[in-house]
Amino acid sequence: MNKEEFISSGLLELYALGISSPEEKLLVEENLSQFPELKEELNDIEGSLESYAQANALQPSSDVKEKLMNRVFSQESKVESTQAPVVSINKRNTSIPFYKFLAAASIILLFGSIVLNYTYYRKYNKATDDLQVAQQKIEQTDASNEAMTKDLEVVTNRYARPVVLNGTANSPDAVAKIFWMKNTGQVYIDPTNLPQVPAGKQYQLWAIVDGKPVDAGLITTEKGTYHIQKMKSFGKAEAFAITLEKEGGSPAPTMSEMVVISKM
Amino acid sequence: MIYSEEDLVVLLKSGDESAFSYLYDHYSGALNGIIYKMINDTAMAEDILQEAFVKIWNNFSSYDSTKGRLFTWMLNITRNLAIDTIRSKGYKKQSKIQSSEIAVGNVSNNINENERFDGLGIRKQVTLLKEDQKRIIDLAYFEGFTQNEISQQLGIPLGTVKTRMRAAMSELKRLLQN
Repeated sequence: MNKEEFISSGLLELYALGISSPEEKLLVEENLSQFPELKEELNDIEGSLESYAQANALQPSSDVKEKLMNRVFSQESKVESTQAPVVSINKRNTSIPFYKFLAAASIILLFGSIVLNYTYYRKYNKATDDLQVAQQKIEQTDASNEAMTKDLEVVTNRYARPVVLNGTANSPDAVAKIFWMKNTGQVYIDPTNLPQVPAGKQYQLWAIVDGKPVDAGLITTEKGTYHIQKMKSFGKAEAFAITLEKEGGSPAPTMSEMVVISKM
Repeated sequence: MIYSEEDLVVLLKSGDESAFSYLYDHYSGALNGIIYKMINDTAMAEDILQEAFVKIWNNFSSYDSTKGRLFTWMLNITRNLAIDTIRSKGYKKQSKIQSSEIAVGNVSNNINENERFDGLGIRKQVTLLKEDQKRIIDLAYFEGFTQNEISQQLGIPLGTVKTRMRAAMSELKRLLQN
């Protein structure tokens, strides 16, 4: 097939229309590379078809272009812009900066420390309070032990000679005891069973020596309670008596205020 | 701005956005007209048109100007997409719903818009084409019929399709050159 025969065969038209068979297509492409003039002929045919297509054009609605341009060009920029975050996410996943770890750890430790501090501070306070209470109790116990030991020493002293002082008509229920040490003459009084002293008053012990009352000392209370206490010493005495006197005592007993008296 | 086809191809190969915009402005109507003739559905035609231009853009490096004109290459891509759509299941459902009357209306509505590509009176010249010649070109060009299908459709021997097509195309060329 020469050039003219090929042109008039209609193969170029079919090729331009896109409906040639694979063999025809191959044949056309071979001839095109062989005869450059065929290229011109094909170009004419294609140009005619293009004009024909333009003559039958149907304009699409304007938003098609908008969508298309967005899709084609913002898609490209999307690909670029999504690549950047992907990298940064990876970075974030693989290496959190060390100072961030430190900061996070510090905050956790700080909170832990605050909680522990608070807990231990409360425990410490309670322990201190408990200790003080315990120490006070011990002191009190020691004090009362000491007092009782002293009382007991007096009572159990082998030289102690007990003297009972019985209530007078003024206070029939009142009782007092004297422990009089025969070897030394020391006098101890146990005022435990005397009535409560009225305010501004004080009990005073008297020894009756040769028929006359001699001051034997004031009876004191210790925090409102009586203990056995040492009075003045007497070598001899016919009797002992306790009167209620004004605070600080009196030089001579107020006989009307006698509470107890002994019978020797 | 008007590009020569050579310049346009060079710019498009370099990924020039304004060249692509020009390409669309210049050829979307012609391509859409062909898709519409195959599909008869405005919205679907426009979807295919969009897909076709995406494909044209993405595959532009494979265009070889020694094998034919740019428009021919673009049309082949577009027509293949339209044919794929026609063969797909979704289209068959859709096409039953589509009314041909609406389709005709749509075409005539758009005639005025076509005028801007019709400065040389192409449209008028084309109307001078004999009906049977127009038909054979349209079957191949606008409807994507194969030679076999054309011979069946027109009731002519397969060998005659080539010569008839050649004659019709010669006439078209003559009319357009006037």
